[in-house]
Amino acid sequence: MAPSVPSKRVLPSKESGLFKELLNLYESRQLKKGQKTADQILKKFPEHGETLCMKGLILTHMGRREEGIELVKKGVRLDLTSHIAWHVFGLIQKGEKNYEEALKSYTQALRFDKENMNILRDAAHLQTQLRLFDGLVETRHTLLKLRPNLRQNWIGLAVAYHLNGSLKDAKQVLEHYESTLKNIPDYDVEHSEVLLYHIRLLEELGEYPKALGLLDVNAKSRAIIDRTAIMEFRARLLSKLGDHDEAENTWQALIEQNPDSYEYYKGFFSNRGIDLENVTGDARQKALQYLRDFSSQLPRAAAPRRLALDVADGDDFKTLAEPYLTSGLDKGIPSLFADIKALYRDVGKQRAIASIVEALRERLASQSSSPPSESESPTTYLWTLYFLAQHYSHTADHKHALTLLDEALEHTPTLPELLMYRARVLKRLGDPFGAARSMDEARVLDLQDRFLNTKCAKYRLRAGLEEEAQELFGLFTKKDASSPGADLEDMQSLLYLTEDADSHRRNGAFGLALKKFHAIQKVFNEIEDDQYDFHGYSLRRFTLNIYLDLIPWEDHLRSHASYIHSAISASQIYVQIHDDPAAASKASSSNNLTEAEKKAKKKAKKAAQKVQEDSKKATTQSTSTNEDKGLDLTPAKDDDPTGTKLLEHATALDRAWKLLSPLVSLAQENIDVQIAIYDVAVRRSKLLEAAKALRYAKSLDAEHPELHIRLIDFHKRVSSLPQVPPAPIGSVINAALAELLPEEVSLETFNSQYLQRHSTSGKAVLASANVLHKLGTPIAEVESAAFGALNPEVSLSIQTAVDILAFLQSIGSSRADEFRTTCNAKYELSTVFKLPSELAELRRVAFVVTEEDKTKQEEAS
Amino acid sequence: MSSSLHPQPRVSFASLTPNNLGTVRKLNSVLFPIKYSEKFYQDVLLPDTEEFCKLVYYNDIPVGTICCRLETTDGITKLYLMTMGVLAPYRSKGLGSQSLQQIITAATSNIKPKIDSVYLHVQLSNTSAKTFYERHGFKEIAVHENYYKKLVPHGAWILERRIGGTETVA
Repeated sequence: MAPSVPSKRVLPSKESGLFKELLNLYESRQLKKGQKTADQILKKFPEHGETLCMKGLILTHMGRREEGIELVKKGVRLDLTSHIAWHVFGLIQKGEKNYEEALKSYTQALRFDKENMNILRDAAHLQTQLRLFDGLVETRHTLLKLRPNLRQNWIGLAVAYHLNGSLKDAKQVLEHYESTLKNIPDYDVEHSEVLLYHIRLLEELGEYPKALGLLDVNAKSRAIIDRTAIMEFRARLLSKLGDHDEAENTWQALIEQNPDSYEYYKGFFSNRGIDLENVTGDARQKALQYLRDFSSQLPRAAAPRRLALDVADGDDFKTLAEPYLTSGLDKGIPSLFADIKALYRDVGKQRAIASIVEALRERLASQSSSPPSESESPTTYLWTLYFLAQHYSHTADHKHALTLLDEALEHTPTLPELLMYRARVLKRLGDPFGAARSMDEARVLDLQDRFLNTKCAKYRLRAGLEEEAQELFGLFTKKDASSPGADLEDMQSLLYLTEDADSHRRNGAFGLALKKFHAIQKVFNEIEDDQYDFHGYSLRRFTLNIYLDLIPWEDHLRSHASYIHSAISASQIYVQIHDDPAAASKASSSNNLTEAEKKAKKKAKKAAQKVQEDSKKATTQSTSTNEDKGLDLTPAKDDDPTGTKLLEHATALDRAWKLLSPLVSLAQENIDVQIAIYDVAVRRSKLLEAAKALRYAKSLDAEHPELHIRLIDFHKRVSSLPQVPPAPIGSVINAALAELLPEEVSLETFNSQYLQRHSTSGKAVLASANVLHKLGTPIAEVESAAFGALNPEVSLSIQTAVDILAFLQSIGSSRADEFRTTCNAKYELSTVFKLPSELAELRRVAFVVTEEDKTKQEEAS
Repeated sequence: MSSSLHPQPRVSFASLTPNNLGTVRKLNSVLFPIKYSEKFYQDVLLPDTEEFCKLVYYNDIPVGTICCRLETTDGITKLYLMTMGVLAPYRSKGLGSQSLQQIITAATSNIKPKIDSVYLHVQLSNTSAKTFYERHGFKEIAVHENYYKKLVPHGAWILERRIGGTETVA
């Protein structure tokens, strides 16, 4: 307590009583009464800071946020030394997820009330969320000193030390804690968790004998009740201690309990010095023998059989693969190909698998004429055709895959998997419309299958059929959502957000694309925020082991593929807007709105109306009820439905950098990330960052075509600087340049040497043509370089051909259409090189029109 | 040994719903030379025919259908078998018999309304189909001339099997 209470805070005894009542009413969330009580005090003492804060807090809970926050701020100003005022301010900031500022307010509050348990606990949670572990240890220490009789305060300190990397201190706290325990009830889950945590701590400290001792004693006394965890710890610790025979018994027992856990097999083999991911030499036969034994002991387990396929080679592989494949096809396991696809990294195994399944197909095909009673099930033949179609498409023989699928569909036209795979093959052949149609054919076979529905909607998005895709999504989303997309966004569907953003980007609707990419970022922010509750919950419920796995997982959250994709794609759009502000204004000017954008505007209007009505309803209700809306910030209404604000040129690069910056440390090994970082950094004149990204990219793949373009780009930008950057930077940049590009050859020679080294790669051809253009080469030469991609010896994917076409169009080449028509003929089944007029016709055939629809249409017209 | 290598095929039946009607349409389009009207697809979804309209699954893949409708004249209810078909690769595996038996069992236990008999048309040339139904207790009761407008021969046998009577399946 502060030594003297400032006179303006002191209330006469009546009001002082009311204030205490106010605090109680808030605690029990009697908001309405609380508000009245506060008003009663304020009538006489309108400048009483703490009352103003409490009233503000109550109003915020009632949904009158702005008004409430105003009052809180006023209250804090009027009484800067009140812990209540600062505490309330901190609560509001925490509700806004503004953890840094909230912690500052809590720290202020603690200055005036050093021993307030509630504030200390909240501060600890904020420190954990912000990863301020030094401060956390201090806070937990204070809490423990204040209340050493609370179990969770001990554990809280141990976990704080652990997070701060002081494992030894954590161990000491635990030992101390355990020595004070008395009368632990039997089968106490919380105590069991603490003991397991203690053993985990000892294991991490490398004190294996002690860990094993503690485990054995407490397993025997039944203080640890998680039997599986006991065995897992035991097996691991015995392996680490080198007691291989005893360890093997334990691993074996674990495998018998769960024969499809790959982790257990990994542990079993590593105990015998065999690394299952990398089996070589003598180990191979040994490992195979073990796996054969497991397979015969555990006839229902798939794992040992599948693992044997990884380990075996040569004839062993063939002998093992044949029954594995045959039984999978017999049982009709749809995912069989996905299951064995990883084996294709080994060309020998790929060939062996193909010949086994081809032989089976021939045998089954000849049987189909023999008496049906003797032949095998016709479904085996069907799944064999399905498997082979996947095999051939995987090995780029898409046409053969289509023939096989047609044969299978002739045999059984009602298996959705066949149509779905047909859609996939058509997609690979560059026909998104045919693909969407085939997926639709699969969908109408079973309208209640959400997987089919979502796949079909995704394929429609891939074909640019934005609105038709939304219709399908809407079949499975909440009916009262403002739109199917809004519901899917609420549900954090990364698949939807990613595909929709990509689709908008392909359609040139950059604003909408950016909106969805930022929505993905928001999902990750939410997931990060969600951990907040666990800082309290996990200690209260003693779920320590999973909590200590959660914290590092959250720290790596944004290394998720969806985040990386959204950050890179959005940054590419931002860079494009930065380089060519016209691109943004084209995309945002209202006369040029794409259909989707117009629709989005309309929908957003409707949704906004609905939100307004809802909030009106809510406010009229909230004045009359006690309903607690909590302190969390509710999403504001969307005042930018088409993302026009995101297209704003001046701040585009800052937004891009904000998306990319977490990836600087989280996705270092991803060359696309490094390239994106370079693109944004160099345009923000952050030359050191740019150089660092290029050096990193070079260490990952020195010959990457995108990197090749950036090397030249960097050289050009640096040499065109009006003056050498100031002292330390200038020399670092020059050193980086010298490391990235050979000084003795000209850029032109560097480029032509690059092309010579990679003359058969379509992407390299595009990169070198791009560089020629950057170097100011006459357009005719650039064009002929780009056309080099059409040489028969160049391997050119459809996507790269599309990129080359876009490049030719971007430099205003008169030969762009020639390139388009050539590609159109070269990729005969693709539709991506058609003219817009031809596409209109193709859009129409992308859907299955049932008789029912037809009659409906006729009736309508 | 061979039975463990090739497990017994699973045969099962599913009721028709608006959601799996697409599968019925697909099967009908490859099984029968006739295009069925929208009325047909509406009728098979009626609640009181649920037990008499089924998709036939073989190893969890839909490979056949059987569809009937209820006809009531003068207070007597008959079950008319409109379509029954199984995809070519799955024939001669007893699927037709199991489907028909399924329908007959359902008709026998149907109380509201009580079903008097099951009947159907078979094209005059199709003797194997006629034999099939006769094996399941059906008897020829009449010949319907010019039943098929677009198919040759035009005529059809009318086969009938009484329900709840004394007849039993051989």
